[in-house]
Amino acid sequence: MKLTDQHIEQLYKFTRQHFVEHYDVQTELVDHLANDIEQIWEKNPTLTFEQARDTSFKKFGVFGFMNVVEEKQKQMNKKYRKIIWSYLKQWFTLPKIILTVSSVFIFYFLFQIPHYGKYFFYSLEVFFFLFIIIRCQFLIKQQKQRVIETSKNWLLEDIIFKMASSNFIVFFCNVYNIFRLAELMHRKEFTLLISVFSVLLILVSYITLELIPKKSEELLEAQYPEYKFANN
Amino acid sequence: MGNQKLYKGSLQTIILKLLAQNDKMYGYEITQKVKELTKGELKITEGALYPALHKLEAEGLLDVEVAKVGNRLRKYYKLTENGTKETANRLSEMQEFLNTMQQLVNPKFSLE
Repeated sequence: MKLTDQHIEQLYKFTRQHFVEHYDVQTELVDHLANDIEQIWEKNPTLTFEQARDTSFKKFGVFGFMNVVEEKQKQMNKKYRKIIWSYLKQWFTLPKIILTVSSVFIFYFLFQIPHYGKYFFYSLEVFFFLFIIIRCQFLIKQQKQRVIETSKNWLLEDIIFKMASSNFIVFFCNVYNIFRLAELMHRKEFTLLISVFSVLLILVSYITLELIPKKSEELLEAQYPEYKFANN
Repeated sequence: MGNQKLYKGSLQTIILKLLAQNDKMYGYEITQKVKELTKGELKITEGALYPALHKLEAEGLLDVEVAKVGNRLRKYYKLTENGTKETANRLSEMQEFLNTMQQLVNPKFSLE
């Protein structure tokens, strides 16, 4: 006995009920359950769909789909970090490195202007935090909208749009300390370090909040062979 | 029924070896194939198979293909170039391990 389209739909629903949020992970599990259910039916044709499904699910052990989800998340986080790294590297090779290094020196000289240097640093930080708040809110909204429209939530997409935002929460927790960095600016080597830190921060936020979300379609197509035809 | 724990550390090598022989396979097929080859002695649990596959994929040893089969999507795994090389490494490591175990469990004494 073969599974019908309705059964497949029910299996997707079943995985969602068991905390598998993302479509790419659901798809693999649905195919697995479906194969197993068909085999269970071959041996025991009197079982109902629900009974066969539960028998198959039990084989995943007491933690259910949790192990699968966790490992997949780890794998995708690693992938995401690799993507960030590949973009970041470009800023340290010619020709972009010229812009990176000159930004560090521009900041360094501006931060060193007597009396006004630290105000420049404060305004840069305020501007930066405002940008992050607005941009993160926008990205999270955009992602929600996409999930509603396509009714599919892809793990990598989720990471691209939400992880970046949550990463910056760490910075928000440290706002006070970051502002206090200005007190160290009486020493040249600290000023240089703060300039490097500021440029890196700006680069990472630009990459994670602007560049990668804009390229998300391309990245998702490369990651998921099924992306194109699942969304049509 | 052997002790499943003894097989635990070899799961990735088993998967790689199967893929080296079969071009491409999907998760369920792997569990069935292992069951068939070992006559039910080794049962790969679902909760261990997929994490292992995803780990190998993240390490760049496996590549993924997706095909529509009947009314559902199926994800196939196959070895990458690196994966093929790594399979050979891991198999020789396993062979060494087996030899060492053999010596420990069943030592041959000589007069030398």
